Formats: sequence, C-alpha cells, structure tokens
Amino acid sequence: MKKTLPLALAGLVLLSAALYFPTAVSAHDVNECYRDHQVCRERALNMDAPWTKVALALTVCDVALGKCILAVKV
Amino acid sequence: MTVLPIWKQALVLLALSAGVSPSAVAAPADGSVKRFVAEDATPGGGKPDAACLVLAVAMAFDADHVYVVDAEDCAVKVFAKNGTFVRAIGRKGRGPGEFSFPSGVSVFGGRLTVADKLNHRLQVLDAAGRHVRSFALPFAPDRVLVLAADRRLVTRNASGRNGPEKMLYLFGGGGELLREELTARSTGDPVVDAFRNMFIVIPGAGGDFFVVWKSQDRSILHYGRDGALVERIPVDGRYAFRPFSLAVRGTRKALEAFCWECAADRGRFYLLPPEDTDDGDLGPGHELFVLDGAGRLEARIELPCRVVRLAVDGDRIYAVDRDSELRIFRIRR
Repeated sequence: MKKTLPLALAGLVLLSAALYFPTAVSAHDVNECYRDHQVCRERALNMDAPWTKVALALTVCDVALGKCILAVKV
Repeated sequence: MTVLPIWKQALVLLALSAGVSPSAVAAPADGSVKRFVAEDATPGGGKPDAACLVLAVAMAFDADHVYVVDAEDCAVKVFAKNGTFVRAIGRKGRGPGEFSFPSGVSVFGGRLTVADKLNHRLQVLDAAGRHVRSFALPFAPDRVLVLAADRRLVTRNASGRNGPEKMLYLFGGGGELLREELTARSTGDPVVDAFRNMFIVIPGAGGDFFVVWKSQDRSILHYGRDGALVERIPVDGRYAFRPFSLAVRGTRKALEAFCWECAADRGRFYLLPPEDTDDGDLGPGHELFVLDGAGRLEARIELPCRVVRLAVDGDRIYAVDRDSELRIFRIRR
C-alpha cells in the first residue's frame, strides 16, 4: 500500500503531462513556435489596453512560447 | 488535443484577468498655461458595417481624407475629413492589396503606404486603393512614415530575443536599406523591455521626424530626413512622468510612464499623457498637452473622452476612442 500510492501519484502526474502537452508528432516545429510568439506579442502591443493587462498578455505569450518549445522537444 | 493559437490563449487569459492594482501616482504641476476645451464634432447617425473599426491601430490624413488602419479587419478605412465613411481598402490575405495585421499607414504624393505586419512587407496603393507595388522586409514592420519620395521610415517592435536590436529603419526609393537607428533598451526581462521599448514616431516638416518614448525618457528626439539624430528636445518639467509599478511574474518593476500617444502639427507637439483607469491600471488620458517646438508647455486641451490614437490638423483633432470609434474634435480656443 505504501508503494502503491506514490506510484499511482507518479502515474497521474505523467498522464496529466501527456494530456497537457501536445505530442511531438502533432506539435509545430520550433520556428513555428517563434512565429506564433511574434504574432502574440504584436497583438498584445497593439491592443491599446491598460498596461497591466498588456503585461499580462505579454507574459502569457512568453509562457505559451515555452510550452510550445517544450512540446516540440518532448 | 486542440491547442489554441498563442494569441487566442493570451486573449482568453486576458479576459479572465480581474483588475490588478498597480500604484499610479500622477500630477503634473500646472503653472500658468492656457486651457482649452475640445468639443465633439463627430457626425451622428448610422454608418455601414464596413465603417466600423475593430482594432484601430494607426491613422494618417491628407487634405481630403482620414485613413485609419484596422488591424483586425485587415483594411484601411477611409473617411472624409467631416467623418463620413468613404470606403475600406484591402482584405485579409497575402496577395497584392491584401493585408495580414496591418499596423501603420502613411500618405505621401497621393499614395498610401501600408505596413503589412505579418506579411513582412510595405504595400503602396494609389488613392483608389489599387495596389502599386510592394517592398519585402526582413522583419515585421510596425509603423511607416514616408518622409520623401525616396525615403521610407519603418519601425519595428524589439523582439527581446536577438540582443541589441535596432528599431528604426530608413529605406530608399528602391527599397534599399539606408540606415538603422534607435537601439532597443534591454534589461533581460522581455515583458519590462517591451514597455521600455514602446515609442511613437511622428512626421515633421521637410522630411524630418520625431521619436517619443512612451516611458523612461522625457524628451522628444528630432531626426533629420537622413535618419541622423538632430537634437534631443527636453520636455517642460510641468509635463510629468507618471510612476507606475508593473507586476511581472510575481515581482514589481518600476516604470515611469511618459506618453500614451502624440502628434505634431504646425511646429507644435500634442502629447497625451497616460492616466489612471477606474480599476487602478494605467490607460490613455483625456487631456492633451501642447508643447512648442522647444518643448515648452503652452496649453492643455481637455478632450470629451479618453482616446488611444490621435492626429491634429489645425483646430481639428482626429482621434480613436477606447471603443475604436473615430472621433472628431474641434478645439475651442
């Protein structure tokens, strides 16, 4: 029982990660990640929203870039 | 699993975001400057769907028309100087006369030059909107100013990934690169750097142009038509910075907001300082500061509403408000 619980938790984490990140086969290549990131940043910078919201949008762009690159390399 | 494009993810999270409350302190000391009011002269009544602006990002005008770039609608909307809609030019695509997120427009010699951002090119159109020629660019252009028949100034947003980058590019009549200027500021934080590197370019007389940083620098940079820096015009101390604390990934970064938008007309500068929004953020203001050519504060003009874009032509102000509506104001002196 003591070993089952950590194993189940580890399995759950791996399953979550597998579901969360797109697979390498369906993922874009890294260049496409950077292209999407550029589009994301340009939209954020042009949306004329108050600064905190723009900062949030830019942060999301960066997080999404990291996620996209990770997905390519997984 | 379906993955939304990055920009859609950004918009979804943005929509979910509630008001974060940065500290924004204000208050330029006033002194004895003239105060004017601008009254609304926007025509009322209905308008066709094509006249609606979704995301107005840039504007320009000539003797007869006002041109507004709608980035989301991938078109340049043309209005008469009295605000009447005339036509829309362009549609989404990659072909001649088509745009992908257009972001800038300039009028010179009866021709429109449009910064076609995501197609990485400039497109030149005639007065009727017919495609004349295109110039491919090695980057995504942001704004464009045609300074002379053989001088095109193109700006770009710094990516924050490629080390010290230039943000101003001057091209000749054949599309050849003549000069690069204005090195991006870099602190290593891409979000903070994005704000520190926001700037506005405005046309001056005789092919000269001006650069105004949106933060961290209280001066107006005057460049000649050859792209060389002519002078740094210090802005009157009564036009103050607005300290702003930006929350970035759990830490707060201090910024000094300076200008949201600006225009130049007949030797004067019209600067729109940022103001606090109702939810404690920092947004566009509703009062224009008029400076003379030496940067001295001459007057303040109260606008009927907050605006995000503006152009000034004599006693008329053409602006885009926060609802992406074209507004026309008349300055009552």
